[in-house]
Amino acid sequence: MKSADHPKEGPSLAVELGALKLRNPVIAASGTFGYGEEYASLIPLRSLGGIVTKGLSLEPRRGNPPPRLAETPSGMLNAIGLENVGLEKFILEKWPFLRKASCPVIVNIFGNTIEEYAELARRLADVEGIAGLEVNISCPNLKAGGAIFASEPRTVHKVVAKIRRATSSFLMVKLSPNVSDISEIAQAAEAGGADAVSLINTLIGMAIDLKKRTPLLGNITGGLSGPAIKPVGLRMVWQVAQTVHIPIVGMGGIVTAEDALEYLIAGATAVQVGSAHFIDPRAGLKIIDGIQRYLQANNFPDVASLVGSLKIKKDTGQPT
Amino acid sequence: MKTKIKEAKAQIIRHQRIGADSFRLRLRCPEIARLAQPGQFIMLRISEQSDPFLRRPFSFSRVFPPGEKKKMTEEDGILEICYKVVGRGTSLMTRLKEGQQIHILGPLGNGFWAAEGRKQAILIGGGIGIAPLIPWAEKLRRGLGRNRASRNLNEQSAVIVIIGGESREKILGVKEFQKLDMEPLISTEDGSLGIPGMATDLLERELMTRGHASIALYACGPMPMLAKVAQIADQFDLPCQVLLEARMACGMGACLGCAVKVREEDSLKISQPPADAAEEKILFTSAFAGDAIGASSESFVPDVSQPPAFRYARACKEGPVFESREIIWE
Ligand SMILES: Cc1cc2nc3c(=O)[nH]c(=O)nc-3n(C[C@H](O)[C@H](O)[C@H](O)COP(=O)(O)OP(=O)(O)OC[C@H]3O[C@@H](n4cnc5c(N)ncnc54)[C@H](O)[C@@H]3O)c2cc1C
Ligand SMILES: Cc1cc2nc3c(=O)[nH]c(=O)nc-3n(C[C@H](O)[C@H](O)[C@H](O)COP(=O)(O)O)c2cc1C
Ligand code: FES
Repeated sequence: MKSADHPKEGPSLAVELGALKLRNPVIAASGTFGYGEEYASLIPLRSLGGIVTKGLSLEPRRGNPPPRLAETPSGMLNAIGLENVGLEKFILEKWPFLRKASCPVIVNIFGNTIEEYAELARRLADVEGIAGLEVNISCPNLKAGGAIFASEPRTVHKVVAKIRRATSSFLMVKLSPNVSDISEIAQAAEAGGADAVSLINTLIGMAIDLKKRTPLLGNITGGLSGPAIKPVGLRMVWQVAQTVHIPIVGMGGIVTAEDALEYLIAGATAVQVGSAHFIDPRAGLKIIDGIQRYLQANNFPDVASLVGSLKIKKDTGQPT
Repeated sequence: MKTKIKEAKAQIIRHQRIGADSFRLRLRCPEIARLAQPGQFIMLRISEQSDPFLRRPFSFSRVFPPGEKKKMTEEDGILEICYKVVGRGTSLMTRLKEGQQIHILGPLGNGFWAAEGRKQAILIGGGIGIAPLIPWAEKLRRGLGRNRASRNLNEQSAVIVIIGGESREKILGVKEFQKLDMEPLISTEDGSLGIPGMATDLLERELMTRGHASIALYACGPMPMLAKVAQIADQFDLPCQVLLEARMACGMGACLGCAVKVREEDSLKISQPPADAAEEKILFTSAFAGDAIGASSESFVPDVSQPPAFRYARACKEGPVFESREIIWE
């Protein structure tokens, strides 16, 4: 197909997450790409499939005491504590730039109560130009003893349904891997009205300073990300792909195009790139190029025909 | 301030041991050398693979921007960093070979700035912390030399350098300062070189013996040393800049990982009760109007024992050089 929009001949990279159309399937993940402006001088944001902003709450949050980072084998732990500028400042100071980013911007939100989630969704619905919401449900539910929202299918259904009523925006629910059955949670999100699910968020971990016998993180525990978690993310995306009908956005440890391709084959319609930006700000762009080359080399007409194309022998995939 | 940041390949021109456990990397990278300022830093990618995963931050220890002249000299577009081996990443760095290319990201953060109206500078560095003070000394010297007001000033005394370390082998940078015509004052904890004791003792002594009306302090080194320098700066009422280290992932201000506890701007002014606290109090006293008269009369005298209002600043963006008074030292 030849058109003015595709000066370069070759497979189309465009994907659709329900009503949300992306020019390619590579999105910058929440918390690793700030509010876009931080990286704008280094890479053309318009080349990305989209950007997810740092987790946003109604009120500003100061975050956790340092140290907030620790390196681990092929990965890292972070305990930022969801520091963010709060809704008001976001709209006033961060949105004007993002609005002109000329790529879809998805706003990642979280709350301490179901009402806070709904309130955020309602107020962001009035902001022009937001491509959609990503709902981080890996936060403690203060009204339910502090267990994370994501851990209980019924709670997940309730939060998502409440947000769904508050906004007509594209709604993607970001799942936590720190649960016993992620498929159940994904189904609850779908039933609640989610347009898509994204996974995985970080895996809870910790590290110890042997000299001092203290935790390496100020918060003791933190979220593990980077290549170390890729097999887990991939497995979960594949599992969820067997159980829901809405699009899946896969992430966890994607550094190269090969990593991204594995996720697409496992069933993700698009991917997010997170910690990889820290080692290479151009990681996302390189992944886009690499996907394009792979499609071409393997004669795929478009990226969509690769999604979920995993070949499996009958009677395999039993519990290990 | 809008700074330009580049991600670039740099060629290793020289890799040299400079102390017991310290090394210097001389890199050719005109794009970054053109922009680099003393106190700023780079994030260096150690491995092309993803383990070790994160880049490592290092301050510029010398910068030779590409000249304006047509002809390039040997030094044009060169950067140097000095590093001390402390862990896995820096151990791996010792294997980097001359001629090899590495990825660096920079220049990052805000460098030192000349404290307003101060004619003399004392630079104090502990161990490898002396490295970023070398280009700053050079710049200060040039700046002060050109400044008309300071023409009468004894050039030699405009910049004083104090270097501290555990022992003789840990004292770095002496030659570099001598090349700049500066004779650093040295202290070692074991007395194996210079004056026995801490660099901060030497600093105090200098301030006692010298008039200190027009001095500004610039410091880099281990946290306890910086905290002590900050305390001395307070005591003598001197402006003081410190270069802080924090663990970093992005270096770009995006991940919020490099948090440093700083005073909330407003708390530097006279502390006022926040509006909603005052409101709460009124509600409280009216609800218990009968017996709360005593309670309400304690009024709003600022409580000095209260921890100051604080926020977390990003060392990579708002720092790594901070005014010492901004920092909440713990
Ligand atoms: C702005 C800035 C400038 C710096 N400039 C210099 C310099 O010029 N010369 C020099 O020798 N060192 C400098 N450091 C410290 C240097 O970055 C660390 O010593 C180095 O990252 C340690 O890496 P490692 O893998 O050997 O240690 P490991 O302990 O194995 O590292 C594990 C993780 O912790 C981080 N880390 C460990 N120690 C420090 C530290 N002190 N500061 C920040 N992160 C740390 C590492 O970056 C890595 O992510 C600077 C730090 C900062 C923040
Ligand atoms: C420093 C840091 C901050 C993060 N902040 C958020 C956040 O605010 N909200 C969120 O939903 N996920 C957050 N994440 C999780 C990432 O978006 C992503 O799910 C996770 O890091 C796994 O992907 P990766 O291995 O590619 O980094 C953060 C991750 C990192 C490393
Ligand atoms: S290192 Fe990421 S914000 Fe400073």
